[in-house]
Amino acid sequence: MTATRLPVWTLVIAACALIIFYFPQLGTLLIYDRAAISHGEIWRLLSGNLVHFSIAHLLYNLIAWLIAGTIIEIHGYRFFPVLCFSSSLLIGIALFILEPELYLYAGLSGVVSAAVTYLCLQGMSEKGVWRWLCAATLAGLIAKTVIEMITGSSFMLQISEENFVPVPLSHLVGIVAALLLYLFLRITSPLRRFTR
Amino acid sequence: MKRSSISIFIALVILLFYAALMSGCASGTTKHATSVVDYLFPKTKDPVVTPGIPVLTLPLRVGIAFVPAATGKDGRESRTSSGFTPFQGGGDLSLTEKRKTDLMQEVARNFKKYPFVKNIEIIPSAYLTPGGSFANLDQIRTMLELDVIVLLSYDQVQFTDQTLSFTYWTMAGPLVVPAQKNDTHTMLDAVVYDIQSRKMLFRAPGTSLINGSSMLVDQSQELRADGDKGFSEAAQSMIINLNEQLALFKEKLKERPEEYKVVQTPTYIARTSSSGRGGGGSVDNVMLMLFVGLGVCFLWIKGRS
Repeated sequence: MTATRLPVWTLVIAACALIIFYFPQLGTLLIYDRAAISHGEIWRLLSGNLVHFSIAHLLYNLIAWLIAGTIIEIHGYRFFPVLCFSSSLLIGIALFILEPELYLYAGLSGVVSAAVTYLCLQGMSEKGVWRWLCAATLAGLIAKTVIEMITGSSFMLQISEENFVPVPLSHLVGIVAALLLYLFLRITSPLRRFTR
Repeated sequence: MKRSSISIFIALVILLFYAALMSGCASGTTKHATSVVDYLFPKTKDPVVTPGIPVLTLPLRVGIAFVPAATGKDGRESRTSSGFTPFQGGGDLSLTEKRKTDLMQEVARNFKKYPFVKNIEIIPSAYLTPGGSFANLDQIRTMLELDVIVLLSYDQVQFTDQTLSFTYWTMAGPLVVPAQKNDTHTMLDAVVYDIQSRKMLFRAPGTSLINGSSMLVDQSQELRADGDKGFSEAAQSMIINLNEQLALFKEKLKERPEEYKVVQTPTYIARTSSSGRGGGGSVDNVMLMLFVGLGVCFLWIKGRS
């Protein structure tokens, strides 16, 4: 009988997002702010993903994050912290370079997209129903993100009362970050086996 | 002879009537007032309240309420009258709950346009107890989740002078109808308080003066109309002053950062950003359903194995 792993990273990141939300002073220090980043506050590229604008914004992202992160950690898929860090950083850099008009950004959904993509890619290499479920979920996620990128807006965003625009680029970058990490791990897998 | 004596009698009656009118010139006042000082610092309680440093987390949740009138021993609202105040019951100046709500909505409409205001709650009078002080404000703050409250008070005085008269020529001769000169002075006062720190942020008054006249028979109706108009005019004047005081307060915030602490939330920064647009990475309904479905399937498979 194997003991279920505790999803430590998932819980730590969720706790960070919650703490930042309830301490607005922290949110102000950590939000992706283009002007502040230009003035040297580069941590905002990374930390902007942990800031949220409203309780609805936070809840939607946290539910999705807890599902994806918990499955990844229970399954024991490796390099999850690397995925979290690299996808967060890539999202920040991509927004800074590709979205010059975007002055502020906040939200964990890009990292959630990365986690789900990574989970699905790992799941596709397993056997049984889980493999097909992962393939279907990944196909759905990619299709939705592509449509969002083409139309330039979110599908069915319910957080309508907020004064922010959805940024589908963050979801695309999250998917790409997970794909790159997965490919890197596949390519370097024989090498790692050899060094061991 | 008989005819001339009748004429003299009529002339005498008219003369006496005029004399009665001249000698009977009377005046009276009716006053209705509520006071923020009486509400926040009632005599029975310790008036010493040490304000702290207010922390204004933007955008603010604002409440707006009329302070209740101080009650007498019998528990009824106080109203003072003096002198000649005929038909006073009809000219009752006290604000009805509906009129208070209308005035508060007028003020709220003006404030809603500011990005630093998240929402404005109109607080019914029943929520405020006479002399409730900051303990009462704390209850309201907890109940309605407010940061700042705008306390409105009013002072309306109506002066009635019986100095006018209208003369009508009728078939039987001149008919003199006594009339009134009415002055309605109204003042509305808005005091903005940070509830937690008990610090007054700023205040703004609004005043109005209505000069009217009426016949004795229409007096109560006329007084009521003047009173109502007085409140409307005072509210408009107060809104203008509130905007001016708010601009001054903003300057004060910049000049004296040690006295007021301002925290801008990410929502506020995104809302007020003039440099470009604010964006959010958010999971929508479709994504959420997809991920929840995956999670349920994962649990089902794990349960089976």
